[in-house]
Amino acid sequence: MNKHRADLLFLAPLFLFVLLFVLVPVIGALINSLFRDVSFLPVKFTGLMNYIRLSGDSAFRKAVVFTLLFSAVSVFLEMAAGILTASVINEEFRMRGLIRGIVLIPWAIPNVIGARMWQFIYQFEYGVHNFFMKALFGMPENWLGSPAGAFSALVAADVWRTTPFVAIIILAGMQNLPTSIYDQAKVDGAGMIARFFRITLPALKPILLIALIFRTIDALRIFDVILVMTGGGPGGTTSSISLLGYKAFLQGDFGYGSAISVAIFLLAFVIAMVYLKAGRIKEEI
Amino acid sequence: MNEAGFKKLLLGAGIALILLFYLSPVIWMAVVSLSKNADFLSRGRIEITCENFKNIFRERTLYFPFYLKNSLIVGFFSALFATLFGGLAAYILTRTDSRLKKILMVGVLAVSMFPQISLAGYLFRMMTSAGLINTYTALILPYISWCLPFALWILMGYFSQIPRDIDAAALIDGADRFRAFSRIIVPLALPGLLSTFLLVFIFAFNEFLFALMLTTDHNARTVPVGISLFEGLHGELPWGNIMAASLISALPLILLALFFQRYIFKGLSGGAVKQ
Amino acid sequence: MRLIKHICLAIALILTIVSCARQEKKLTIVLGGAPSEVKYLESLIGDFSRKSGTEVSVIRQPTDSDQRRQGLLIPLKAGEADPDVFLMDVVWVGQFAASGWLLPLQEYMKEDGFDSSIFFSSVFDRADTFRGAVVALPVYVDTGIMFYRKDILDKYGLDLPANWLGLIDIARKVQEKERSSNGAFYGYVWQGAQYEGLVCNFIEISSAYGGCIINENGKVSLKSPENIAALEQMIALISDNGISPPNTFTEMKEEESRIFFQNGNALFERNWPYAWRLHESDGSPVKGKTGIMPLPVGPSGHRASALGGWHVGISRSSDLPEEAWELVKFLVSREVQRSLCLELGWNPGRKDLYEDPDIAARIPHIAVLKTAFESSVARPSAPFYTHISEIVQKYINAALSRNMTAQEALSAAQKEVERIMTLYNE
Repeated sequence: MNKHRADLLFLAPLFLFVLLFVLVPVIGALINSLFRDVSFLPVKFTGLMNYIRLSGDSAFRKAVVFTLLFSAVSVFLEMAAGILTASVINEEFRMRGLIRGIVLIPWAIPNVIGARMWQFIYQFEYGVHNFFMKALFGMPENWLGSPAGAFSALVAADVWRTTPFVAIIILAGMQNLPTSIYDQAKVDGAGMIARFFRITLPALKPILLIALIFRTIDALRIFDVILVMTGGGPGGTTSSISLLGYKAFLQGDFGYGSAISVAIFLLAFVIAMVYLKAGRIKEEI
Repeated sequence: MNEAGFKKLLLGAGIALILLFYLSPVIWMAVVSLSKNADFLSRGRIEITCENFKNIFRERTLYFPFYLKNSLIVGFFSALFATLFGGLAAYILTRTDSRLKKILMVGVLAVSMFPQISLAGYLFRMMTSAGLINTYTALILPYISWCLPFALWILMGYFSQIPRDIDAAALIDGADRFRAFSRIIVPLALPGLLSTFLLVFIFAFNEFLFALMLTTDHNARTVPVGISLFEGLHGELPWGNIMAASLISALPLILLALFFQRYIFKGLSGGAVKQ
Repeated sequence: MRLIKHICLAIALILTIVSCARQEKKLTIVLGGAPSEVKYLESLIGDFSRKSGTEVSVIRQPTDSDQRRQGLLIPLKAGEADPDVFLMDVVWVGQFAASGWLLPLQEYMKEDGFDSSIFFSSVFDRADTFRGAVVALPVYVDTGIMFYRKDILDKYGLDLPANWLGLIDIARKVQEKERSSNGAFYGYVWQGAQYEGLVCNFIEISSAYGGCIINENGKVSLKSPENIAALEQMIALISDNGISPPNTFTEMKEEESRIFFQNGNALFERNWPYAWRLHESDGSPVKGKTGIMPLPVGPSGHRASALGGWHVGISRSSDLPEEAWELVKFLVSREVQRSLCLELGWNPGRKDLYEDPDIAARIPHIAVLKTAFESSVARPSAPFYTHISEIVQKYINAALSRNMTAQEALSAAQKEVERIMTLYNE
């Protein structure tokens, strides 16, 4: 009996922290979203008012569409770039450790710093992007000033900073593949490229799914890169759900901000469930 | 061309591409931080200077050294406690076969997927009523909690590789659980603990949203928030200074990535692959 | 048990960190603005410290006014003891006061016999009092004006434009000619990035066309034909006429346009009076070549300048309210206001300084400022003004970047502002 109590003590810090600083705030946000909690008005219980407002908010609808589109495009590109990177650093070559370390850099440095770097690349007057535009077409271009330009700039920055994570996970999966699966193919004389598509890729499926889930959930909460690079502009076209929530808090409207928080939480949850379901069905077949 | 030659060529091209893709923005940042005028491209010539680096340390009210110090302290303590608490829990969970275990692990993992913004608003309120806004504690507590699930997963991967007989023997010899953990498991799982520590440190050093909402000035504000607010401190975006500050803040992390890449790879993939 | 001991130790350690980070009582002021302004303010604060013996720590903020508001909102909402004193844009005072974040000042004023009639009553009554309480004092009043290059107009023998169309016409002609020697030359720079300054630029042109955001009856009238015409003119500045740089709606804020003009790359510049002193500073390429005029007249026959300005207030959670009040008094004192006017070109909030002979001698354009001041339009005043502003900024910016037509943008903005009004109006 005493031994069990001791075991619980080992688990206590974990539970305590997760409960206090993760679960309580989420439930708090849920409760808060049912109130009119605006800094300059008395607090009042308003039921689902904030959610009704949310459903009619065109800015929110646009943010949901943007966030989904952004996540889809950038996660797809990250998976592709991640597979390529992992294939390269999985090989034996001199200085591999150094190259692996270099691959980690974009992931290791703060997002804000990465975003600042990319912002400067697109800077209208001195950026390297317009340097090439001027050299090639004779005209500078206000890249962050058009919705498509700003979108692709954000995707580029996001792919740059998160591909390392995808590459690491895929690399681990590659290292766990038994070499025996290639033997038959070698006898058959299948080429390197064919082997990659016919054997490596299918064998990596479970690990790809894991990377996909992690990355999608993470991409959905995109915030800092956007705040620094475009601030949600031009004309609110690159506003993500998280950015919208943050802006609501800073307007002093904590009730509405909480409603947005709950919405993105549910969105992330639903998408994770869909992935897991899809993954499990495949397993059963 | 034979396959081996083709492969070599492909590999060379791949490495070149990797260097270009992952490294060039960082090198560009370094070049800008060392140039006297950030618009050297349109000027057509570049003057090298250390002025930007001197500036960010000399300008007293820029508080850059404070931000750096705060980030290091917050990162260190968050990593320390997350590793410690994660280790304690991981030890017990790898030593028992309860059915609860699996539910627990999935539940804990789900927690790590919550979007930060869902917590930030209420955390702000909690920290306000506790009078902790603008302290290290306001950041360290949520960072520990946020990283614990991840730490748990990584460490369980390591601990489960240590045969149970080893610490069971110690327990029979009369040691209590904690002694078995600290004397036997910790030394054996040191690489795993280091991986966890590094990953949590990097996370806490880089985190932005909580830091933005829970700190108000240089007494607790961390580097990412400081750099995001650099805008306009000198009127126009002071690109040279921003890049210099960014480079200096990124340096510890770049060094960690280069020197400890093995541990970081192990830690990150350990958490995911063991699933 | 040892485990418990260790956990206790850990908690003790955390508490030590907390107590280290906790600051002793200190008077803290938040300042922002262009670097030279902040530098000068810092030196004034230094004077205050020496004279009063109260140590003051200064927190610098960016120039961007939205970021400045956000930087204040977090500590004020959290009820932090610092900052004690801060500068507020005139449009925030409503929200800060309604949220109960500002310390009422009338008691202190009465005690010290501080007379509020030294300020412009139009500003003081409208901006600094809230539900009968004095919540702030004006540090300076600000209004949009037009800078122009005297030398270039002379070169081409051109007169000052009488109205907006004249300005566009001149700007286009001069730009065409100057381009042969300076490829980066533009006719007119202004503030079009998605931030508070865009709203000021918009209401100026809108009023000149006879439009407004909220009319006298308290109704939203964003999608009026006048506003649509005004916005179409703003769009045309960038696209059809091409007299404003293409990055106007992404990057141009006060300092960006000031530097653009100061580098000699623009004929006209809409900005606040602070830019004058910087244009005239040593080493400035446009030194001695800059003229100031009120903003041009629009089709309505009126001219309009946005009323801006910064006000100083004390946080209700301040731990040193007495010292904070001394600092506030120092900032609005005749002596400090006079040097702010002479050194930084800030229009004093005090009336008595406008007759000061030194100021009249050193700032020859004070008459222009007065004209601009008389024709100033205020932004809507409401605790939720920043909500309105954010919507207006977003849609005007969308129209400037040509993602929406002027009509679409203003109709959408109208709908959203109306929703906000019904939501927050008690």
